[in-house]
Amino acid sequence: MPFELHFPTTFEEAWALLEKGPPGSTLPIAGGTDLLLAMEFRRFSPRHVVSLSRLPLQAYEVGPEEVRIGSLVPLRTLELDPRLCARLPALVEAIAEVGSVQLRHRATLGGNVVRASSSSDLLPPLIALRSLLTLRSREGRRTLPLEEFVQGSWKTGLRPGELVEDVRVPLPRPGTYRWQRVRPANDISQVGLAVVRHPAQAGGLRWNLVAGGTTPTVQRLIRAEATLVSEEPSQEDVALAAQRAAEEARFATDLRAAEEYRRHLLQVLVRRGVEDVLRSPLAKEVRG
Amino acid sequence: MRRTDALPKARGALTYGADLAAPQMLWAAYATSVHPHARLRSLPVEEARAMPGVRAVLTAGDIPRVLPKRRWDPSRPLLVETECRFQGEPVAVVAAQSLVEARAAARFLQSKAEWEVLPAFTDLEKEFPEWPDVETMKRHERVNAHVLARRGDFERAVAEADLVHEETFRTPMVAQVPMEPHACLARVQGDDWHVQTTTQTPFGMREDIADKLHLPEAKVRVEGTWVGGGFGGKNEALLETHALLLSRLTDRPVRLSLSFREEFLFTRTTQPAIFRMATCVRDGKPFARRTRLLLDTGASLPGRDFALGYSLGFTLGPYRWDTWELEGYALRTHRAPFGPHRAPLAPQCTFASDGHMDSLARRLKVDPFQLRLEQVWRTGDRTPFGQEVPPFAAAAALEQARALEKEWRRGLAPGHGIGVGLGFWSTGTSMGGEAVLTLGPKGLTILQGEREIGSGSVVEGLRVIAAQATGLPEDAVEVVYGDTSTAPFDSGVFGSRTVIALGRAVEKGCEALLKELARRSDHSPGEAGEATPRPRTSRGKLRLDLQGGEVFVRSPRGTGPLLGYLTEEERNGGGLRAHGKEYGRSHELDSSGAVEGDLYAYSDLIAAVHLAEVRVDPDTGSVRVVRYAAFHDAGKVLDREGYRGQVEGGLVMGLGTALSEEGLITSEGRLQNAGLLDYRVPTIRDAPSDLRIIAIEGFPGSGPQGSKGVGEPPIIPVPATVANAVADATGSRVLELPLTPERVARALALISPGAPTGPAGPVTPAVRGRPK
Ligand SMILES: Cc1cc2nc3c(=O)[nH]c(=O)nc-3n(C[C@H](O)[C@H](O)[C@H](O)COP(=O)(O)OP(=O)(O)OC[C@H]3O[C@@H](n4cnc5c(N)ncnc54)[C@H](O)[C@@H]3O)c2cc1C
Repeated sequence: MPFELHFPTTFEEAWALLEKGPPGSTLPIAGGTDLLLAMEFRRFSPRHVVSLSRLPLQAYEVGPEEVRIGSLVPLRTLELDPRLCARLPALVEAIAEVGSVQLRHRATLGGNVVRASSSSDLLPPLIALRSLLTLRSREGRRTLPLEEFVQGSWKTGLRPGELVEDVRVPLPRPGTYRWQRVRPANDISQVGLAVVRHPAQAGGLRWNLVAGGTTPTVQRLIRAEATLVSEEPSQEDVALAAQRAAEEARFATDLRAAEEYRRHLLQVLVRRGVEDVLRSPLAKEVRG
Repeated sequence: MRRTDALPKARGALTYGADLAAPQMLWAAYATSVHPHARLRSLPVEEARAMPGVRAVLTAGDIPRVLPKRRWDPSRPLLVETECRFQGEPVAVVAAQSLVEARAAARFLQSKAEWEVLPAFTDLEKEFPEWPDVETMKRHERVNAHVLARRGDFERAVAEADLVHEETFRTPMVAQVPMEPHACLARVQGDDWHVQTTTQTPFGMREDIADKLHLPEAKVRVEGTWVGGGFGGKNEALLETHALLLSRLTDRPVRLSLSFREEFLFTRTTQPAIFRMATCVRDGKPFARRTRLLLDTGASLPGRDFALGYSLGFTLGPYRWDTWELEGYALRTHRAPFGPHRAPLAPQCTFASDGHMDSLARRLKVDPFQLRLEQVWRTGDRTPFGQEVPPFAAAAALEQARALEKEWRRGLAPGHGIGVGLGFWSTGTSMGGEAVLTLGPKGLTILQGEREIGSGSVVEGLRVIAAQATGLPEDAVEVVYGDTSTAPFDSGVFGSRTVIALGRAVEKGCEALLKELARRSDHSPGEAGEATPRPRTSRGKLRLDLQGGEVFVRSPRGTGPLLGYLTEEERNGGGLRAHGKEYGRSHELDSSGAVEGDLYAYSDLIAAVHLAEVRVDPDTGSVRVVRYAAFHDAGKVLDREGYRGQVEGGLVMGLGTALSEEGLITSEGRLQNAGLLDYRVPTIRDAPSDLRIIAIEGFPGSGPQGSKGVGEPPIIPVPATVANAVADATGSRVLELPLTPERVARALALISPGAPTGPAGPVTPAVRGRPK
């Protein structure tokens, strides 16, 4: 299907374009690594495609307690930043597994969260890290926890005309991203798992565990998280959490893996993930 | 050697099939069947013809009109007439002003076609849970071919054995997956049927087109383009016939190419096989083997066996047996037709045959190297089919691999294992070829009919051979690519034969040139103007050289410019010419074994012994190859780098067959992973970084300077080697390819053994016994 490609330079222009026509007839494009495939497979047939490349969505600030990542920052930039590598291992480990280097020069965080794929490698760490999204529209800005934003494959809390401006992630956070694929490089994970430890909060959880490869989208493993109460849970607690995770996760059988195998994998990944985080230098450094 | 095509390829400067364009060109696209087996009820052709930009729609019904004087052979359909035979079979081809319009019309046809779905036979396992008896198979209308060959009485061997070792191995559909999809540009002008296409076999293609369209071969002109990999998938005429017919219909050039989805669905490929292996042992010595093979040959034409006998031979391994029995059935199913694929079925046969040998060694608690060494063919032995074994390096390769294995085994990390695999191949030297060489004052040109398919055998191999044969630097040798009407005949770039047969033709051409120069040197007046013939001292010692851009002849009589050796005619006509030909020889089989069905004779025999160290994750079943060594029977290495590249590429490709590649079908027989997303070929990051290639020389073959082919051998032992290493690491043997983490997890009993991967789609009744 032929379409017209626009390059607005201001938000006003972008919104004017995005509000045109019936829903679905105009779509924004960032790196295009998801959208172009979806158009090729006819999931979307927009008449107008709005490039975000000339909008000020490239902000990237690493502060002492938070990193703010403009929705258009390519994944490759994040992966190569030593400040993130040292302080957000869960996110950087996951980014390094997305597709290939070529792909990561184009793909963005904004596109990944709006795609909201159940097999995304980035949603598990971003949700486990308790990331916040800034959404921007004519009505102004609003902030939403990523966990609430993601609803299912291609389903999010994005309102018509709204754009993802940035993603804010707290740091430093000990953590890790674990995955298994049939082919290690450039494949879709059969199961992905992010494990992140947060500082103590009154009555709050210390650990967040989020799995991908689940159905219908990525899933927080609430019962497993509840099992890991302390900063340094015992081996028994870790084993119990792994078991609970395998029980509570919603998996299906598809051509990438059988449900039974996914459950088995998740149990292994939870045990290894938590143990590896506990052993990591960052976990020893960031306490309290 | 320096690959002159490397930089232009990296920069995208070379023209591949899909890059072809011509003024006034129309774009074509396929509408294909979406069912493996169904009857076509209706197709809205007239509506498609009226769509924007559409210039023609070709269906089976139109073919007699386009080829009015030709009789039509309905057993070889070019397009679906009434019943489709596999999912992805072309039903109609659209030609339009633009690709978008062609695809829109094709998609319209495909989605609006009405089908009556018929039961599909796509699952060998379901159809034949047990080895079928002869009577059933005699009546089974899906048996395309039957081979039964034996020496001695296997049942008696069973009675005499201390131990009968039995295993069943299974292998899935795997595809060639060249990076470049099939593409061509066809133009019919008068009775010149001209097609430019990405092919491994221009002359085979010409024959195939002429045959399918009932044209005289001389009217068909096939011109090759640069080829982005073939692996056996670019041999026969697939889309070329359709593009030519559309061009005839529209009087315009027509471009047709396949999408990756179509690549998986409708090109010929390797389909599933089940190998039932049995080996008899007496006094610790394996002495008898039987293989029973069920081979899915897809929707191939009745009577075609696709070298069933040739494949079966590989299941005996390169081993001596007192008694052997090979039996196999090629079955016609509703999958895409079986076809050549880098050593067709040899990696699968070797997975079964060599895996079986390896598990036997473990069962007998003997060194797997020792067991193989005691049985393996050595030069001068007789093959099971009674041929004398030509120089063959298997034992030498095994010995070297054994030494390295000892080294690796010291300090082997826990969870790691080492496996050895032995495979062999035979080059297609009996398939001939020719080249025309012209030696002029500036250098040598080789006119020949092949195109470079990626290995370097044409673009560089022929130059290296000519340079080494004459003494000229490679830069002074040029390869010219003719089409089928200008170049001399050659069989094609396949079967490890290019360097061996076409290369030998070039070498012979060079020898003829030198011989003629030597004759002239001995008989000619020479520079001094003497008329009397001199003693014949020059022959064999004469070499060429390039000095200041001029070709010089160096003979015992001294060095002089080539020009002085040429007649006036030759000086005007570009130089001295020679026509090199190599047609090999066919080999005889000893027929004293009882043979039913065709077995094939070998020519050069090439051994490949691989060694892999793997790490198996004991909790997840995932397998990582940490180091790999390949010991190859090279005959003589003509070019180190080229040789290394060929072996590396082949074995990484084999790692895909071993670990991740498989076509998955639904219960209705539809391919679920027709595309690069879920059909997983290895990427460069999946290749082991510790890769050793060891060429064993001194067991000459029939190629230039005693070289042997290296196209297929590198892929053959890989699946067996990896599976043997996994068995070594875990004590469990995976009997089915590929060794995905899930399959290994099942073998390790981490999860239940049976439950298959894949959605439980709607179930159509399986075809049992005789399908209607
Ligand atoms: C070969 C390949 C391999 C891949 N491998 C992986 C992998 O391993 N792991 C993984 O997680 N993903 C993978 N992906 C998916 C993809 O690369 C990621 O999801 C990527 O992050 C998407 O970003 P993008 O900028 O390309 O998004 P686009 O394709 O540009 O956009 C995706 C969607 O988001 C919308 N959108 C984009 N930006 C905004 C914004 N700022 N505001 C509002 N809406 C927006 C678009 O309209 C579109 O609907 C792979 C893709 C390919 C093609």
